[in-house]
Amino acid sequence: MNSGLFLGLSPLLVVSLGGLLLMVAEAFSKRRVDETSDDRDAGPSSELSLGTAVTLLAGAVFAAAIWFVGPEKLEGASSVAPWVIVDRFTLFFSFVLCLGGALAALLAGGYLPEHRLDRGEFYPLIIFSTVGAMILASAGDLLSLFLGLETMSLGVYAMVGFRRASLRSTEAAVKYFLLGSFAAALLLYGGALLYGATGHTDLAGIREAIANMQPGKGSNFALVITAAVLIIVGLAFKVSAVPFHMWTPDAYEGAPTPTTTYMAVAVKCAAFATMLRVLIGAFGEGGLESWAAGWPPVVALLAVLTMTVANLVAGQQESVKRMLAYSSIAHAGYVLVGVVATMRAGGDAQGSVMFYLLTYTVSTVGAFGALILMGSRGAEAVSYEDLAGVGKRHPAAGFAFSLFLLSLAGVPPTAGFFGKLYIVKASIGAGLYPLAIILLLNSVISAYYYLRVMVYMYMREPAPGAPIAKPMRSGYVATALVVAGVLVLVLGLWPTTSLQIAVEAALATR
Amino acid sequence: MSPLDLVFQYWPAIGAGILGALVPRGDASTKQRAGLGLIAALTTLFVIWLWPTEGGAQAAQAAEAAGEWPHLLNLLIALPIVGAAAVLFIPRQMLSVLRGFTYLVLGIGFVASLWLLTVPMTAGWHFQYIKDWMPSLGIRYHVAIDGISLWLVLLTTFVTPIAAYASFGSIKTRIKEFCFALLLLQGGMIGAFLALDLFLFYVFWELMLVPMFMMIGVWGGADRVKAAIKFFLYTMAGSVLMLAAIIYLVWTHQKLTGDFTFDYLALSRVVLSKNAQIICFWAFSLAFFIKVPMWPVHTWLPDAHVQAPTGGSVILAAVMLKLGTYAYMRFSMGLFPGPASNLSANLAGVAILGGILYGALVAWKQRDVKRLVAYSSVAHLGFVMLGLFSATPTGMQGAVLQMVNHGVSTGALFLLVGVIYDRRHTREVDEFGGLAKVMPIYAVVFLIVTFASVGVPGTNGFVGEFLVIMGTFLSERLGKFAGIHTVGAAAGVILAAVYMLYVVQKMFFGPLTNPKNKHLPDLTVRESLALAPLVLMIFVIGFFPSIFLDRMKESILLQHNQYKVVSGQAILFADERDAKLLPEDTFSPAFLKGMPKKEKPAEPPAGAEGSQAALGGEGKVAQ
Repeated sequence: MNSGLFLGLSPLLVVSLGGLLLMVAEAFSKRRVDETSDDRDAGPSSELSLGTAVTLLAGAVFAAAIWFVGPEKLEGASSVAPWVIVDRFTLFFSFVLCLGGALAALLAGGYLPEHRLDRGEFYPLIIFSTVGAMILASAGDLLSLFLGLETMSLGVYAMVGFRRASLRSTEAAVKYFLLGSFAAALLLYGGALLYGATGHTDLAGIREAIANMQPGKGSNFALVITAAVLIIVGLAFKVSAVPFHMWTPDAYEGAPTPTTTYMAVAVKCAAFATMLRVLIGAFGEGGLESWAAGWPPVVALLAVLTMTVANLVAGQQESVKRMLAYSSIAHAGYVLVGVVATMRAGGDAQGSVMFYLLTYTVSTVGAFGALILMGSRGAEAVSYEDLAGVGKRHPAAGFAFSLFLLSLAGVPPTAGFFGKLYIVKASIGAGLYPLAIILLLNSVISAYYYLRVMVYMYMREPAPGAPIAKPMRSGYVATALVVAGVLVLVLGLWPTTSLQIAVEAALATR
Repeated sequence: MSPLDLVFQYWPAIGAGILGALVPRGDASTKQRAGLGLIAALTTLFVIWLWPTEGGAQAAQAAEAAGEWPHLLNLLIALPIVGAAAVLFIPRQMLSVLRGFTYLVLGIGFVASLWLLTVPMTAGWHFQYIKDWMPSLGIRYHVAIDGISLWLVLLTTFVTPIAAYASFGSIKTRIKEFCFALLLLQGGMIGAFLALDLFLFYVFWELMLVPMFMMIGVWGGADRVKAAIKFFLYTMAGSVLMLAAIIYLVWTHQKLTGDFTFDYLALSRVVLSKNAQIICFWAFSLAFFIKVPMWPVHTWLPDAHVQAPTGGSVILAAVMLKLGTYAYMRFSMGLFPGPASNLSANLAGVAILGGILYGALVAWKQRDVKRLVAYSSVAHLGFVMLGLFSATPTGMQGAVLQMVNHGVSTGALFLLVGVIYDRRHTREVDEFGGLAKVMPIYAVVFLIVTFASVGVPGTNGFVGEFLVIMGTFLSERLGKFAGIHTVGAAAGVILAAVYMLYVVQKMFFGPLTNPKNKHLPDLTVRESLALAPLVLMIFVIGFFPSIFLDRMKESILLQHNQYKVVSGQAILFADERDAKLLPEDTFSPAFLKGMPKKEKPAEPPAGAEGSQAALGGEGKVAQ
């Protein structure tokens, strides 16, 4: 045991310890919500939300601190490799995951009391899911990878079904649980085959074994291919790529909105982190990375399908929440384009993927947060009609929502624009012109449904007699929106530093 | 200098002022008299000031560069954008403060833009300002002006205050949002005209979309939402393809030189391989053709115009469409001269058949006056594009002048249509007739603007169209078709007279049959003051075109020569499979001033630090 190891694992430890403390605090707290009471500040949310956010932000701060120290300088941090790898890649994702989790916790602090869901267990769930996500992002071995995946998923299953009285929420939880377990099973099966074929569970060892393998009769190459397919499918479930996206709209719509935010942000980022680790770490050699016989064309096909189908379907939705669910699927498609480009453009492309996930995190948290802000007790804002005229009655809320939507649509000078720009740049650099063009055309389609929200907010009035949406008042939600809004603008106007950090983080895995 | 000398020196301006003050009829208010007098006097002063003087050229040469304040362009771009942000903090109840603040910002912008005229526009860039923005990607904040963008910037700063003034007469709701959108739009448009970094250009190009979208969608007519979304999606579809082409171009440049740069000047040196040239040319040009708009991608325009509020239509027609033509001239012709040159005869055919003739015929058939004016824009911009495709100095001069002309006269037409719409809430031609009897002043102004739009000698439209047709006839690029093209374009002028005079005759003359029109009030003070500068500019350009042409001449010649030389080179290299970098001496040094220079640390010994390339890039792996 040495201090370097502790320091290296500190983001993980800080968040876990904080979660345990908060659980104890919650158990001894006198704050219990009275379901009939109108006092929104009486429940456990009022203290746990901030505590959770602080804990997760502390994790982010520790990750940033180790970044500046330099993880490679930490003696002994490598002693837990390959189960937990402490490198710049891990730190980058730890930061993004903690940021997304903290903002989601802040949103929950406003949302749960407002909609009479104020029970304390939500916050430990968010924290331990994030711990799972961080393990997932740092796992260099299939076993710890599976462990992280399940830790993350179990918490999220419970969070999806958090609205126990609601049939939709329960349905969403069951759906997500069944399909999520199925995906995990596929992943596990793929891992088992891989172990059978190569004799390794650690990604580096697998990579080496594959590189030394001679394709031909009697070799285990067919087994490796099968395993790769199973693993890709399992991960595609987690990032909700078409055609493995069927659970997403229902689960996202049925879940309480902070959970949806968390799923769209943290779960997706962690899944992409794994995807990068596995595809590049394990399947980066031995012909598997080639266009002719490897995963790139498969992922490219997934990317094209995901972008196009999700965008076309998103335009048809009548519920804004469901539209945002499809939009998050579409964004997964854009990221997959970047993943394909890592095949040739290397560190730049992987950096652009990671930068994209950062911009996507802040924009998506903002968009869901603005949607949360628009509703109040008994009248959650869900459909387009609910938003009619909001821009006129509540200009600040409308402005914030517009900013995040424009960022998701990729209009300069917002964060989302640079995210897309770098992915396009990477894919053009890798010679994937058709993918770049399809991505850009898809972003035009996506502009349609993002604009539609703005149309309802600014250019429509609520129908006479229809219930008028009344935004809630919550300092937590407002704080989360301000943080996300500032980040959207900062990443939009001065993106270079964070991009360089992302590229540096990406280079750690190659 | 005694006051008497001043009177003698400036007697034309004083005379014009008095004349302007006397123009309104007996019962006019003092405000109207004073306003008209002031506008007339200032316009005259403007002409006197710009009048080319004998032997002034040498003195001007000496004065060059001395009087260029490098932050002037920053001021022009930043002032409206900062102003827009400031508007957000003004309470929405304080209407007069909001309006006054908007006028103030736009007014300062206009006065500051007049400063641009004090510098003789010699070939090359002026008021250049360069600052690194994202150095690792080679993205710089690079703005500069030349004799071409000069007039478009002036047009913007001139028309937007008028549009704002007119709009505040008819728009009564959500003034705060309107001021915000207007100022942001102004900043975006000026920025797009001035940007010489392709990335910066793209940012401004997209920045304009959102405020215009809001302007059409919030303050527009009955079907405004559809029109607004159509406008946004059309323009965005074009521009994302341009983005892909920009990135490809940058990537190629990086492969050739090892440096990332989005700088227009540096990228001008790149000659892509043949197919890439053509594809990139189309990706750029499609974005610009949609904006212009050229047939067959013009269909968003009538909807957007008809649904937009008057102020929005004025800005859309007068300035935003010019971005398409300007950007074609600057970027498509500048970066891809090979395909631009090879395709110019075909594109000129499209401009004539699809723009000038088809636009005119469709305009003729419209029953809605605003739609008619919108289609007439398609026809007029067909002339502008024809001038650019002809690629002769005369044609290009005519095209730039015609851009300004169209801004002035179509802006005025939209204001006039807005006047009648505010009174009757309809724009159907059939609803009107004999209006000259009840609204004589309105009728006169409408007729003058119609003449300008048709191109009657003495008005601005004549000069521009004449130069374009001349240029087309003389063009070598159009080859043996130049004659046919000229005939087609000339026929378009006749058709313009047909559809414009037809509507004038229907609306203003004949018996006054519709009882609803019997008691319409004539132009109000606000309306006449908004129209006066535009009407005066029609004659200023019509009678004294040389003050405009002189200042753009050298820039046009530079652009033309370069286009000729580089397109020749590009066609020569087109058969080679690989992209190629033209040597610097292909270009005039004035053009390349400000190009990013590769800073070589005197032949790095080991080459370890040599690759500063790209995103920190692979170079850092080793460290």
